[in-house]
Amino acid sequence: MKDEVIKVEHVSKSFTVYFDKANTIKEKLLFFKKRNKKEKRIVLNDINLTINKGEVVALIGTNGSGKSTLLKLMTRIIYPNSGKITVNGKLTSLLELGAGFHPDFSGRENIYFNASIFGLTKKEIESRVEDIIEFSELRDFIDNPVRTYSSGMYMRLAFSVAINVDAEILLIDEILSVGDQHFQEKCFDKMRQLKKEGKTMVFVTHSMQSVKDLCTRAVWLYDGKIKMDGDTNEVVDKYIEATA
Amino acid sequence: MKVFKDLYQYRELLKTSVKKEVRGRYKNSFFGVLWSFLNPLLQIAVYAIIFPIILKNNIENYVVFLCAGLLPWTFFTAAVSQSSFIFISNTNIVKKVYFPREILPISVVTSSLINFLISVIIVIALSLVYGMGLSWYLVFFPIIVIVQYIFQLGISFIVSAITVYFRDIEHFIGIALQVLFYATPIVYDAATIPGSFQIIMKLNPMAYFITAYRSIFYYHTMPDWGGILLMLALSIVLIVVGYLIFRKLQKGFAEEL
Repeated sequence: MKDEVIKVEHVSKSFTVYFDKANTIKEKLLFFKKRNKKEKRIVLNDINLTINKGEVVALIGTNGSGKSTLLKLMTRIIYPNSGKITVNGKLTSLLELGAGFHPDFSGRENIYFNASIFGLTKKEIESRVEDIIEFSELRDFIDNPVRTYSSGMYMRLAFSVAINVDAEILLIDEILSVGDQHFQEKCFDKMRQLKKEGKTMVFVTHSMQSVKDLCTRAVWLYDGKIKMDGDTNEVVDKYIEATA
Repeated sequence: MKVFKDLYQYRELLKTSVKKEVRGRYKNSFFGVLWSFLNPLLQIAVYAIIFPIILKNNIENYVVFLCAGLLPWTFFTAAVSQSSFIFISNTNIVKKVYFPREILPISVVTSSLINFLISVIIVIALSLVYGMGLSWYLVFFPIIVIVQYIFQLGISFIVSAITVYFRDIEHFIGIALQVLFYATPIVYDAATIPGSFQIIMKLNPMAYFITAYRSIFYYHTMPDWGGILLMLALSIVLIVVGYLIFRKLQKGFAEEL
């Protein structure tokens, strides 16, 4: 039992899509019937999924199949309409790199701020800051404000922070395309190392090559339901067959 | 009680966001943090010139009188009005990262508290300049501040969460604060209010706080403990109810923003 790190039980999630959303009281009063046309869109429908410690899981599927929503539910950014999600262990999600970076602050200050969003204490950050700078290869620029960074440098810094926070569970959404070839290789190496250390990871990606390289299990989502779940190669092959 | 554990774990984030609120507001300005000092000082100067002329009052040492009311009032308005858009201005992190959402309203109220504590130097300095001296009743200052802090935290939880769903609240609060300013004995003395309006002084929580501050800073008398206890009770109810509302509403933040 203690090996289950993420347990998703009967989770359903739907979003209300407003065609013309009344955001103010005035609009709500004036057009309370006519303008507030809305539609319920079911994104996830009764999902059951158990992820065990040390597993590296890929969520695959076409756009709009609910992969990112599932990831957001696991991080507790959004909450399910019904069902329950239990997470055991320290979880870090990289949904978007550099969320909360402040352009006027230096790279170093942003490391502190970003790492604190991930729930690290000052001591923990201080012991990691050298590793983070080293990994990002931005030592020469680390005291410049991040608004002077190129987008590649920005991503490199953000990824370096996120990957060094020592979470037991990492949720990663479509960010394997960080920086140049050299840096990407480095990221993959780091993730292989984390995998060896027994960290649990969940990816959302469209790069089937990286899925096959890294993941031990693949979950194929289709229309808000799990269509297939199992060995990476098998699922990926079936998926490519179906979408081709 | 999970919330306390969470907040403890994320204490560094709480610290940095308080710092960001206090320092960031005046970043890129020439005087920097000195503005937390200059701002109230200039405001006092304006009121101190205008109100004695309009109200034709004959309150002795009016500047100190005004100051003792205006500074805690600024503490209140800063906390409440900033709470109303704290989630909107932090949309990018709320939508992308998990962290205990309580941190944002708490850091707003805490940073306005810090600004208030800095500005209290002004009252003390003015009391000395006007030769009024200080009374030992000042030892009760922390108690009043703590009650007001809890009170504002409760309001902040409610206001910050509801504004995410109804953006109008932000504008409504601007007006409400202006009305409340005149319904609170800041520029005038509560005792000079005609009898039929005294009920306002009884119903307005801010009137109790301002009166208490004024007792210790201006009148050099024992604050009205009945009023403070009443406010403490109200504040505790408010923070519990406010937190429950907040906890319920915060689940939809990422979707509503």
